[in-house]
Amino acid sequence: MDETALINSAQQGDLDAFNTIILHYQDSVFNTALRILGDEDQAQDAAQEAFISAFQSIKSFRGGSFKAWIMRTVTNACYDELRRQKRRPTTPLEPETSDGEEIDSPKWMEDKNMTPAQKAEADELEHAIQHCLDALPNEFRTVVVLADIQGMDYSEVATSARVPLGTIKSRLARARLRLRECLRSFEELLPQTFRLDNEKSR
Amino acid sequence: MTNFRDIENLSAYLDGQLSESESKRLKIRLESDAELASVLSDLSSARSILKALPKRKSPKNFTLTRKMVGLKPPLPRTYPLFRLATIFATLFLVFSFSVNALSPYVSFSAPQFAFGYGGGGGGDGAAAPAAEEQPMTMMESAPAEEPSADQATEESLESQKMTEPPVEEQRQAEVTNEAVFSSNLIYAFLLISIIGAISMYVIRQNAKRKWQ
Repeated sequence: MDETALINSAQQGDLDAFNTIILHYQDSVFNTALRILGDEDQAQDAAQEAFISAFQSIKSFRGGSFKAWIMRTVTNACYDELRRQKRRPTTPLEPETSDGEEIDSPKWMEDKNMTPAQKAEADELEHAIQHCLDALPNEFRTVVVLADIQGMDYSEVATSARVPLGTIKSRLARARLRLRECLRSFEELLPQTFRLDNEKSR
Repeated sequence: MTNFRDIENLSAYLDGQLSESESKRLKIRLESDAELASVLSDLSSARSILKALPKRKSPKNFTLTRKMVGLKPPLPRTYPLFRLATIFATLFLVFSFSVNALSPYVSFSAPQFAFGYGGGGGGDGAAAPAAEEQPMTMMESAPAEEPSADQATEESLESQKMTEPPVEEQRQAEVTNEAVFSSNLIYAFLLISIIGAISMYVIRQNAKRKWQ
């Protein structure tokens, strides 16, 4: 995929070219929205909004990291969604069994390579991490999601979050420390392979 | 006691964001400072847990449709010409029609007619000064000779005929005044407006069909 050519075509209004770009970035964009918002439906909405707004403002892209640019649109969409939530808070409906127990997230059931134990382990891990991410302030969460989950470098994160590099460095350090503290309380819930003490003893 | 500056540096060190000299200095400190090494371990474990978080596949394709982004089909270059012509023709049509409709109520050339010809085309208001002029004419002719009463009546009738335009002429002038724009011109504007509107519609539909 020649990304530059596709971007140029999209800047001329070629929607098909932009859709090719979307197919390349949609997983990253969705995952970023999911980790910032912590809700799959909201993440889908935010990702869709982000792509629409990205197409409408693609002429403003002046080169550099396209991933950082598209991540900026998705973080903006997520912040909009979070502001909306603040104005109109809603209670999500968790799927439950007839006994009132929460049903395991079906996303792990879809993966046929995993044993039920592995699925449960991964599910637990994901729940714990998402809980700790949700506990972070928005700006810390965004930085840690972009740097540690999306694997972006500091300059890309700075572009996406529209904050200076020094601020990224500081926010990331604070976010990691807070996450470490939070995850410590989930130690026994975390699967053996992800126990924090294991890493320490290594 | 580890200060926040050290924590920041440790976090950046993990990401390889420190300069070579800074990294070297930090490594030396880490060997001797157990607390610093413990913080590094904490940060590292938090970082690796986040990195281990499974990546989800997006549950649907987020590809956009033209409707979603409000894109309209590209129109041919002649389209703006049709649009301009239609707008102007419609404006002229409305203007000429309004002017023609209002002309019986508004006198455009009344003052000229009133002073020159006796107010033939000026309507009721213009006719009044003409009537006022009549006694003046009679007054002028009176001192010349002293005609009999019959003669005077005849003369006065004649002079009245001279000052007052014939009824047919008056009517003709009124009709000319009413139609400021000829009906042919109005029909032409109407035709251009209709043809322009139809052409624009057809062009838009064709562009839409081709686009789909």
